[in-house]
Amino acid sequence: MTATRRDFLKAGAAVGGLALLFELPRVFTRERAAVFDPNAYLRIDQDGAVTLWVTHLEMGQGVRTVLPMILAEELDADWTRVRIEQASPGPRFSGIRLHTSGSDSSSDSYETLRHAAATAREMLISAAAARWHVPAAECRADQGAIVHVPTARRVDFGAVAGDAVHMPVPKDPPLKRVADYRILGRPMKRVDGPRIVTGAAEYGIDVRVPGMLFASIERAPRFGAAVARVDDSAARRVAGVRQVVTVSSGIHAGVAVVADDTWAAVRGRRALSIEWTAGLDPAFDSDVFLASLPGALDRASIKVRREGDADAAMRAAHRHYEATYVFPFEAHATMEPMNCTADVRADRAEIWAPTQTDVRTLAQIVRVTGLPEKAITLHCSMMGGGFGRRLFSDYAAEAAEVSRKAGAPVQVTWTREDDMRHGYFQPASAERFTAAIDGRGRVAALVHRTTHSDLTIYDIHEGRNIWSGRPRPAVASDEFERDEIPWGAFDNPYEWPALRVDGVDATSPVPTGPWRAVMYPSTIFGRESFIDEVAHLTGQDPIEFRLSILPRDVKQVGEYRIDRGRLARVLERARDRARWPAVSAAAPGRRSGRGIAANTYHAGSYLAMIADVSIADDLTDLRVDHITTVIDCGLALNPLGVLGQAESAITWGLSATLLGKIDFKGGAAVQSNYSDYHVMRIDRMPVLDTTIVESTSAPGGFGEHAVPLVAPAVANAVFAATGRRLRELPLRLSA
Amino acid sequence: MQRLMEAAVPYTVYVNGRAHVVDADGSTPLLWVLRDRLSLTGTKFGCGIGVCGACTVHENDEAVRSCTLTLAAAAGKHYTTIEGLSADGAHPCQRAWIEEDVAQCGYCQPGMIMEAAALLRRTPSPDDQEIDRVLGTHICRCGTYTRLRAAIHRAAGVRA
Repeated sequence: MTATRRDFLKAGAAVGGLALLFELPRVFTRERAAVFDPNAYLRIDQDGAVTLWVTHLEMGQGVRTVLPMILAEELDADWTRVRIEQASPGPRFSGIRLHTSGSDSSSDSYETLRHAAATAREMLISAAAARWHVPAAECRADQGAIVHVPTARRVDFGAVAGDAVHMPVPKDPPLKRVADYRILGRPMKRVDGPRIVTGAAEYGIDVRVPGMLFASIERAPRFGAAVARVDDSAARRVAGVRQVVTVSSGIHAGVAVVADDTWAAVRGRRALSIEWTAGLDPAFDSDVFLASLPGALDRASIKVRREGDADAAMRAAHRHYEATYVFPFEAHATMEPMNCTADVRADRAEIWAPTQTDVRTLAQIVRVTGLPEKAITLHCSMMGGGFGRRLFSDYAAEAAEVSRKAGAPVQVTWTREDDMRHGYFQPASAERFTAAIDGRGRVAALVHRTTHSDLTIYDIHEGRNIWSGRPRPAVASDEFERDEIPWGAFDNPYEWPALRVDGVDATSPVPTGPWRAVMYPSTIFGRESFIDEVAHLTGQDPIEFRLSILPRDVKQVGEYRIDRGRLARVLERARDRARWPAVSAAAPGRRSGRGIAANTYHAGSYLAMIADVSIADDLTDLRVDHITTVIDCGLALNPLGVLGQAESAITWGLSATLLGKIDFKGGAAVQSNYSDYHVMRIDRMPVLDTTIVESTSAPGGFGEHAVPLVAPAVANAVFAATGRRLRELPLRLSA
Repeated sequence: MQRLMEAAVPYTVYVNGRAHVVDADGSTPLLWVLRDRLSLTGTKFGCGIGVCGACTVHENDEAVRSCTLTLAAAAGKHYTTIEGLSADGAHPCQRAWIEEDVAQCGYCQPGMIMEAAALLRRTPSPDDQEIDRVLGTHICRCGTYTRLRAAIHRAAGVRA
């Protein structure tokens, strides 16, 4: 595993984090002294206008709202007068990665942004104090002005901005107390709302550049198939078609038709006649692969985590209980399909990409064009959803290649079918749990064996052919433990007398990459289902059982400081809020049940969820009626945003639990559009009751944290209602 | 864009009260005419087969899917896109959407708003069942459905 890969997997990216804290990029310029521009994140103009830069990328999770809130709070700016600007890579943001993953934008930026804004605030205070000839300690900032407290004199930020430039830069500026916050911690509506509802918000797919052409790419119909022969004569005769070029820099090989508009490109593409080579694995069948996963768990494994002597406890056990859970391949299916606009010239390139990652996108453009990074201008566009799909930049690499070959600015738009079949996928995986149960019905040891698939999009980004047929390099014996993966397996938060977790590499020919909540969805489906099974087996209430194995302490697991008291408390809050275990009466002809699940995501946020389901007596028509969720994400910087993300993550989890999965037959994805890859719609939505726990702990993430709890909570509820234990997603009751 | 096309017939479509002469193949979906020819990019491409609703516009006052409506069929007819729904973003749905903070990524929301606006014109106070029936033909991957429902009730002047 490469350093880059570990960087993603482990630190999810501690990007833009504390490392920057004491070396903020300074960009103020003497020649524009009237403007106070103390660091990359903010600028104050003479008229008092405060410009705040958003140094992460927006995909709906709300960074363009919450990051400016952090800056404005610590600066004591007047929120009604702030101007919000999107950061794109360039000199101003040198040293700052805009890369956005792992739900850590707000938690990770919190200290950095506070420090940046406090520095500016203290310099403004110094400037005002110098002007008034009073001690700085007698002054404070207040809603866009500096106030001299004893005399109540007041001067606008703008009036002292020019002087502030010359003030000493404080090394360790004081930070506001949380109790004094007036912006953070209060519900704030999305700043882009007005532009979204009028259609003015510009996503990547909306970029329009003078002289641009539009392209559509026909990609390999099977894994690893290459173009053997192209007859493009008919395509070139289609009105509006300009050029036909081959493409090899994305996930699949392809042939691009470049035209005056997207539809002409699609028509031209339909007129192509392409012969493809067979590819690597033309018989690949995901049903066969999924069926092989439980057996794969018997293969040689490597260590993930050990506590106590689980093997001895297994040998000594009175009885054993074992169950295996299977998670399928999944697509992201973002509403805005993959697209990118590229204008590649001989000596420079300009790229407009809806991307979660400036770093990887730039690297891909460098790889494809051979240009130095400084010759590339990358505009990071708003995204119509990300969910991990835009964390890699194969679609930007393709667009750059097409533009270079066509010699014109080109927008490549994926059709929905392209997007669903030719992207990368959440890897399928399996989890096997074995409990050793002693003579008194207590768990003496837990053994968890998990499959782990390498995310092969990393290889594709590095230009390697994942379908070359060459065997993959073996996983190093300490790799999982060193990388503290798989998430949810490594950081199992419960107290077990003995614990043994092992991982087995189970990489398939399917191109794989991160999906919302990455590894947690599979591991938590297994773990939280199995705990439920053990509770029922040993005659305990599933919540009380969990509480009994959650001492109120802080458990250090690798780098994770797991506050088990916080996990126990969200379980109790959910239990009380939902009046567990009382089940609401089912309608005639239906039965109902409820299930629980809990998890901590990287020890930063703690969640518990109770799902209420009802099912017809003939075991058809499974409906999720109500979901109670309790979230402790530390200080909720924008509670309205946290609630929105919880609702979003629950909906995402419901799609995977009840509806969607991607099958592969003949080395290709079977599903092609929302007509056969079904996702949640409004008519299936349960009532959502979401509570954010009041907390002064450091802000944790929340963008994807509720996703993994949905499947086990619902599956456990199905068991409570029917006695049927479902161990494969999506849940299917009829045999 | 002005390149002559073989056998192309210019079509006239009326969008947001203006006549546009479009020189493109008659099979071109109205969606791509709006986006690529008229630069009205508020109407979004989601599925191309009429199952997600991101491309919803009004034909007269009815919600239609512009991705499955050809230019030839649209010729001579009047359409309203999200850009033309109101002069100043003050349509009751747009205001309610802001009030309820519905949007997340926001990509599907113009289509949702156009659908809801047409629904409210027909049925000024829809119940949850009617909202499910009509908006159930749309998809939002961010899962904004709970707030979407609240916004439609708010726009109807009936709080849920």
